[in-house]
Amino acid sequence: MQKETEPESSTTVKREVATAARRERRGASQWAVAWRRFKRNKAGLAGLFIVLFFLFIALTSPWLAPYPPRSFQALYEGEAGQPPSWKHPFGTSRAGLDIYSEVLHGTRGDLYVGVGATVVAVIIGMVIGAVAGYSRGAGGDVLLMLSQVFYTIPLLPLILLFARVFSILVAQGFGLTLILLLLGVFGWSSVSFIVRGEILRVRELDFVQASRSIGASRHRVIFRHIVPNILTPIIITATLFIAGNILTEVVISFLGFGDVNTSTWGITIQEGITYMRTEWWTPVFPGLATLMAVLGFNLVGDGLSDALNPRLRD
Amino acid sequence: MAGITTYVIRRLLFMIPVFLGVSILTFAISNAAGDPISLIRQGLRSAPPEVLEALRAYYHLDQPLYIRYLYWLWNILHLDLGNSVSGTPVIDRMGMWVLTTLELQIPALVLAVLIGVPIGVYSARHQYSKSDVSITTFALFGYSMPTFWLGLMMIIIFSLRLGWFPSGGAAGITRVWWGSEFGDRIAHLIMPLLVLTYVQLATFVRLMRGNMLQVLREDYVLSSRACGLRERTVIYKHALRNAITPIVTILGLGFGSSLAGAPALETAFNWPGLGYQFVVATFSLDVPMIVGITVVITIMLMVANIFTDLIYAMLDPRVRLG
Amino acid sequence: MEDLLDIQGLKTYFFTEAGVVKAVDGIDFHVGKDEAVGLVGESGSGKTVTGLSVLRIVPRPGRILAGTIRYEGEDLLSKSEEEMRKIRGSKIAMTFQDPTTSLDPLYTIENQLVEVIREHQKGLSKEEASEGAMKLLEMVGIPEPELRIKAYPHELSGGMKQRIAISRALASRPLLLFADEPTTNLDVTVQAQVLELLEDLREKLKMSLVMITHDMGIIAETTQRVQVLYAGMVAEVAETHSLFVKPMHPYTEALLQAVPRIDQRRELKVIPGNIPNLINPPPGCRFHPRCPYAKELCWQKVPILEAMDDGHMAACHFWRELSLTGV
Repeated sequence: MQKETEPESSTTVKREVATAARRERRGASQWAVAWRRFKRNKAGLAGLFIVLFFLFIALTSPWLAPYPPRSFQALYEGEAGQPPSWKHPFGTSRAGLDIYSEVLHGTRGDLYVGVGATVVAVIIGMVIGAVAGYSRGAGGDVLLMLSQVFYTIPLLPLILLFARVFSILVAQGFGLTLILLLLGVFGWSSVSFIVRGEILRVRELDFVQASRSIGASRHRVIFRHIVPNILTPIIITATLFIAGNILTEVVISFLGFGDVNTSTWGITIQEGITYMRTEWWTPVFPGLATLMAVLGFNLVGDGLSDALNPRLRD
Repeated sequence: MAGITTYVIRRLLFMIPVFLGVSILTFAISNAAGDPISLIRQGLRSAPPEVLEALRAYYHLDQPLYIRYLYWLWNILHLDLGNSVSGTPVIDRMGMWVLTTLELQIPALVLAVLIGVPIGVYSARHQYSKSDVSITTFALFGYSMPTFWLGLMMIIIFSLRLGWFPSGGAAGITRVWWGSEFGDRIAHLIMPLLVLTYVQLATFVRLMRGNMLQVLREDYVLSSRACGLRERTVIYKHALRNAITPIVTILGLGFGSSLAGAPALETAFNWPGLGYQFVVATFSLDVPMIVGITVVITIMLMVANIFTDLIYAMLDPRVRLG
Repeated sequence: MEDLLDIQGLKTYFFTEAGVVKAVDGIDFHVGKDEAVGLVGESGSGKTVTGLSVLRIVPRPGRILAGTIRYEGEDLLSKSEEEMRKIRGSKIAMTFQDPTTSLDPLYTIENQLVEVIREHQKGLSKEEASEGAMKLLEMVGIPEPELRIKAYPHELSGGMKQRIAISRALASRPLLLFADEPTTNLDVTVQAQVLELLEDLREKLKMSLVMITHDMGIIAETTQRVQVLYAGMVAEVAETHSLFVKPMHPYTEALLQAVPRIDQRRELKVIPGNIPNLINPPPGCRFHPRCPYAKELCWQKVPILEAMDDGHMAACHFWRELSLTGV
């Protein structure tokens, strides 16, 4: 009706509006609310769909793929180096790999590393963060320093070095697990910051001290107050972490430090470089798959972030 | 100003454990599977015996592990990085490689910030608009994509198929592109630069947009408006400066991880920088070289971090105290 | 006497994802010259949004939908953005609840004061503006202003920050100040000082003050007239004294009952229930779910503001019949 400037919301007004907009959902838990919000976020849903799709492929690839992993059968069938066709939807590499099968099998490997490394990192991060948060002496400071150091260290060169030095393990098929462990062991620092920060914050809250004074055990304090608060940022960080780890894994394999005997997207890209000019399909499709997978996890992560932190949305 | 100095000194001191951490890890890993000599033999069978002897002496292989580490650390601090398996001192070509990597990294970072920050601000101010959605999507693809793969795609299309740009290297070997030596370097620089800039830009757009959205909801933005300040002042003087401060720290880290991720991009483009050489050295288990490059990367990282810490302290008065 | 500010039928809604929040749903409000008026209510009653609406800085996703806002006879809602900008800070000003967040942490006090001074007084040199800033600090009673002026907000106490925020709002001697919960975030001892300061300044600058608060004690101390808001609508309007002695709306009575008293021994009465959902407000009178006197009519029909002779108004179907207790 009237001309209205539309400045963005301020915290003061947000408070008032949020108070005023409270629904009769006092019964519904925080999670149900968040889930409802997430459902409204189209991008997040798209991401979830992509992630589930890839999970599905990872689980069913042995049956879904026309060729077993690292099978150079196409060479023997005289069909190496062929562009995409009905028989080979993503074409074949010059060495005789069916790219379509390789991409499907690679899903398994890359998701394994991506998710596994995140799990490792989160566990280590939570432990270290918890100890750092609870200890009141130098120990806490040392752990904090340790977290900061690990946060700053450039991890790729070290991982590459490690992978190369322990190539024996890699050759025996432990390659992916090794990469997984390395990524996890170097990547936990952001989680530990979150956990430590939350513990420090909650520790000082009045009502926690009050409940301690009436005898509530430490466990109760942990589970009722700390855990719900750290779950949110950890979940979001973990999801984005998975995306990052997949990317890093692809880089590692591409550079040739991964397991040459397993199908991963990175290896396939690398193998396609020599004849990139003519057989473009070899590096293109695994890369697209990587892009899609990472995109999916990023979308889910962003969607969760929006849903669980409603401050930035109106 | 005392506050800034103490802060920077604190950060400098922090760099020491970082450096030690990296050096210990590198040393430990490279010695873990056996002493350097056998490793080198494993990677590069044809190293001449004199070189190996020199290495043996350099590493004091007759000493226990921790002594070796101290000797090695001592050497490094004196910039004596030993000789690589090819016999030449590690440090000789390091300078060249550093410059080559920086030739790519620095312009990319600068462009990414200069372009990314304004776009992020614009996106935040027009939240939910069509441009915001396209910008966000564009950025999303940028940081979901493997950088080196994008590089490969560009090579396939623009270089191998269309022939507009060279397909690799930092300078032409068989021919000089675009008329002059300068033009030649530019021709080789463009594609990797575009790729790297795009990917980094994506992160900055995303960060800036997020920070800006948050800051625009702060009370001081509302109170500035209530005092009748111009919108331009409110947005640029108050909101932007508050939003950009956390980004500065990210810059330092981002530079570091960009350096770390340089191997893949440089390999894709055959760009003879540090990352590329690192991959080569690691493959042939040329331990002195590996260590040398890691040290140099770490030093560059530390310098970048100190630099950004300084800027951060200048921007945000709150960190200067205590 | 013509009113300084005259609001009629103001409606400001927020168009959120969860629904349309009717934060201000038909409010009449007026402020005379040199008058201190209270705007009281719980959180979410619409009192802050009213102030923001006058200044037309209602944040997204809020919008003013209906009503007129007249200031010195002119309709503010038909002014252009640029005209409004000139009015903000110079004719009408507002201070906010949390002084820690209402000042920009990255700039010195001097910087923030000078920028406001120079905005409304073109042609002032930096030195002149700095001097002006110093005078502002003196005006609000900041000790050792030469030191404080170069300080950053985080180096100052809450009380000082709030005084500085007030001085910034008053830099151009506005005739109308909306003070949104000026003391809520401050220590008790400092609260009295700030209230005193506001009263002082009001007298000195011949300013009208709108005291937005939920604290009845502050209303008693600082205002001559008061308007009680509930859930975006006006519940009662009266001279402060009358309101306290003989409230006409059950909500006002409840508010007064909830104020702790040193001189009386009595139970602290809490108002049962919660503030209503403003997306789907209760039908009829919005207070009826929590009202001890509610009857069937209350949720059938929305009560309108009805006046007694002396300007005392209440929006209740039964204000004539009810005999409510004051303090």
